[in-house]
Amino acid sequence: MRDATRATDGDLADSDLMRRTAAGDREAFTTIYQRHHAMVYRFARLMTGSSSAAEDIVQEVFLVLMRDAGRYDPARAALPSYLYGVARHQTRRRLARDRQFVAFDGGCCDAAQYVTEDDVTTTLERRQVLQRLRRAILSLPRKYREVIVLCDLQDVSYNDAAAALGCAVGTIRSRLHRARTLLAQKMGGAVSSEGDHQRMSMRCAV
Amino acid sequence: MTSTGPEDYGLADTLDALRRAEACMETPPHVEAAVLAAWDREHAHRTASRPRTLWRDAAAVAAAITIAIGLAQLGQQLRRATQRAPERYQDSRTLLLVGEPILQGEPVRMVRMRVPAATLTGLGVRPVTGTPGEHVDVDVIVGEDGVARAIRVGR
Repeated sequence: MRDATRATDGDLADSDLMRRTAAGDREAFTTIYQRHHAMVYRFARLMTGSSSAAEDIVQEVFLVLMRDAGRYDPARAALPSYLYGVARHQTRRRLARDRQFVAFDGGCCDAAQYVTEDDVTTTLERRQVLQRLRRAILSLPRKYREVIVLCDLQDVSYNDAAAALGCAVGTIRSRLHRARTLLAQKMGGAVSSEGDHQRMSMRCAV
Repeated sequence: MTSTGPEDYGLADTLDALRRAEACMETPPHVEAAVLAAWDREHAHRTASRPRTLWRDAAAVAAAITIAIGLAQLGQQLRRATQRAPERYQDSRTLLLVGEPILQGEPVRMVRMRVPAATLTGLGVRPVTGTPGEHVDVDVIVGEDGVARAIRVGR
């Protein structure tokens, strides 16, 4: 049963929840966590290639949010952009600490879980393609990996990605174009026609 | 049936497949538990630290009052001693008697302190060094009851 407070919390804007969090409201903080933890986790997982690193990063991000909630200014960035910014910083620290990427450790979900109609061979091939893509993304320079993860894999708009990464929208566009080209090369020329760029750009349009 | 080999896969399709695969990734529940436990620890610490701060403030005020009273008494004693025996501290290495006289055989302790010359002036003792900002070594003779008996001002 949902009580009245919870129902109200569900409707509150992020900025209101942040204000309440800064005032020590545990329920507001919990609501923020439940709203945004998944995107932070996926971002960190794709950036590091490690589920355990992603878990640590999620914890760090929300600890930062808990301590600095009073400093959040909704006029500067939406909460998701702010969280991506913090997650990006934490990811950099983690990667710098680890010095190298760890092997992608799988997870609950792979290609087999959404391919239902094909035979086993097809499923394995698709899984291999996804693994290759993951490895290719992890091998990209960080600035290109960030835009691929945000815009192509998290469906973040160019504007929000620019806010999260602290750069201009034009920079996001150019980095994304370059990142896709690099990615296509790493995938063995399997892809990246001009049509691909256009299709992906439409999905991420501002 | 759709062809599925890497050579046939477009980047957009592959990225889209990865996006859908990642979309079902969820943060494990133990992470939320850890985050909320951190919240509880942080806020329990803040709540607990408030009375501790009050206690500290009260102790600091009490200590300040005690010191102020002690200094005032010491100042009075010094002034009395100065009035009683001004000739004794004309010599700058003098022993100032500031309280009850030291009884013969009374166990005493000597505490050496380094204080600004200006502090001595404030206590009614003529500075023994050049400038008020200069520091002076002072030996305080303390009786068995903890009361200063004498102060020896060195150079």
